Amino acid sequence: MFEKRKVGKVMEKKKIGIIGGGISGTCLGYHLSLYDNAEVVVFEKDTVGGASTAKSAGTVCLFDDSLRNRYWDVRLYGFESYLKMEAEEKGSAGFDKTGTLVVATNEAVEATIKTGIALTKAAGYTGEYITDKDRIKEILPDISTENILGAGYTQDDGFFDGTMISNTYAKKMQKNGGTLKTGVKVTEIKVDNNKVTGLKTSEGEDYEFDYVVDCTGPWSKFTGEMVGMDVPIWHTKAEAFFLSPPGKKLDYTFPVLKYPEFYGLRAGDNIFICKSHLSMDLNNPMHAGQWDPDKLPATGGTDDYFIDFLLEQLEMKVPGIVDSGLVSSWLSYRAEPKDFLPLLGETPMEGYMLATGYGGNGVIEAPAASRDLAKLIMRGESTPLLEDWAFKRLLG
Amino acid sequence: MNIAVLIKQVPVSNDVSVDPKTHALVRASSEGMINPADLNAIEEAMVLKEQTEGKVVVFTMGPPDAEKALRDAMALGCDESCLITDRQVAGGDTIATAKVLAEAIKMYGQFDIILSGALSADGATGQVGAMVAERLGLPHVSEIQSIKYDENLAGKIEVVKKMHEDKIRVGCTLPAVVSVNFGSNTPRLATLRTKRAAKSKPLVTYTNAELALPADQVGIAGSPTEVIDSFEPENGRKAQMLTGSGAELAQMLKNLIDEEKGKV
Repeated sequence: MFEKRKVGKVMEKKKIGIIGGGISGTCLGYHLSLYDNAEVVVFEKDTVGGASTAKSAGTVCLFDDSLRNRYWDVRLYGFESYLKMEAEEKGSAGFDKTGTLVVATNEAVEATIKTGIALTKAAGYTGEYITDKDRIKEILPDISTENILGAGYTQDDGFFDGTMISNTYAKKMQKNGGTLKTGVKVTEIKVDNNKVTGLKTSEGEDYEFDYVVDCTGPWSKFTGEMVGMDVPIWHTKAEAFFLSPPGKKLDYTFPVLKYPEFYGLRAGDNIFICKSHLSMDLNNPMHAGQWDPDKLPATGGTDDYFIDFLLEQLEMKVPGIVDSGLVSSWLSYRAEPKDFLPLLGETPMEGYMLATGYGGNGVIEAPAASRDLAKLIMRGESTPLLEDWAFKRLLG
Repeated sequence: MNIAVLIKQVPVSNDVSVDPKTHALVRASSEGMINPADLNAIEEAMVLKEQTEGKVVVFTMGPPDAEKALRDAMALGCDESCLITDRQVAGGDTIATAKVLAEAIKMYGQFDIILSGALSADGATGQVGAMVAERLGLPHVSEIQSIKYDENLAGKIEVVKKMHEDKIRVGCTLPAVVSVNFGSNTPRLATLRTKRAAKSKPLVTYTNAELALPADQVGIAGSPTEVIDSFEPENGRKAQMLTGSGAELAQMLKNLIDEEKGKV
């Protein structure tokens, strides 16, 4: 996977400028760099994988509700890409194999979990749907098994580190001849006759490109304005807390824990808890809006309502950790199109491409999305995924 | 025991620069947090409260959004809080700040002990606690590690101060003002329950209308301190890549640490 493939014949060079060095930009940069005739430059205004990617939980679970089962191959491609990365160099994807427990609170969720388990097993991984409540409590002793139907469990997955992955992709892209510019801000996207021709940077450099790809996630609205385009991205708040369990240290492996309303995972001796993105209401100004991600504080910034929400949820669902100490918290913005699916590929502006709007699922979706987008850019071939996640679906 | 704790909201970010004209600190983010040493003072207050079934009132002077720091302090167990906020008192130096805090404490009630953090993470003068003591006419013990209270010795406390490698025990009559060292204890954490409870705990706001301090005695007008210059320190951090076996690396690290500590 990581060795540069030869495309067989000499093809015309294509120059691609990628704006944003998070998981989206670095992953796309890497996939493009696999083509001999690609000349790729990634522009990152700060550090690689240091913004919203760094605040990603990095859960890539074999089955949960983060991504519909319709896109299960996307999930699997992401998961296996990172497993291969880890196999090549331990730690390069920051894998923590804690397993995942997905709790079925109603029959619809239960059906989704069961389908996910069937897909997981078909791909050669373990997965079971458990209705024995004692067994569920063995996996997660602090859980309440009241008011649940059962839970799906696999011990084969867990979570990854989005920042590590981004840096690994960036390194591999550079090894394949791609260029990474960090600490460099794109200040202008050059357009001629409704076609993108290049960009200018804060360093005063002027680049010519055949394609410019917006991989700026929560910044996409501002990035799009540089070509006079309104990228339909909303921000939903990812409000997260790090909890120190009452006993200071858990005596069991806390799995990735998924409920429709929130998810949790271990973070060292602490537990990370975050509201799930599918529980966000784009019409609720407390949940969603259009803000400036540059104004996000490094830590803190969570809303008071989130305390009440989390207290209520944990009292009901994971009472064993409700009296945990609050170690820290942070707020991040997810880039969310109104249908909660990414924006991938061509736009009305020729040469201006999008790989944004992953809505908190960037770590899961970026490998498959980048694979397909690279193919479109380099070979002009579309894929069903690109058709599904095309910008044009939101027009009209 | 009635306990007061003086806290300060300091910026979360270390990303500060200096305005070349006013010499004021320009902060990249307005996000505030409780000064770290003040958390140690709160922890001492909590221990005394639990021992004496007392009450803890936390005070701060600052802009209206300093309420967040007070709510955070109440989430740690402080019972009540007092915010002194008024443009008239803003921008004061340590003397002007101490006047305001001392007046607010007098107005609020009687306290057996007043605790503060020994140093703030931003200004780091370490003066306000002692100045409050002076204004209130109370004894002051600075930079303590711990407080021992024995109810059989009512009206007195014994504190431990660190002097180089030695520990000094100091007796002090109450009421007194005591400043607590950063890192002297392990501050407790708030929980979701205590966070929620803190939202409905009493918070009193004073302006200078209540304190009735003369306008030329507070804020910038009441501050004899003049900042002549301030500057960003040169970044002295350096990185060095060490290579070798595990044992060699350990020895190299030990040598470097000894060198930094001045042993070599």
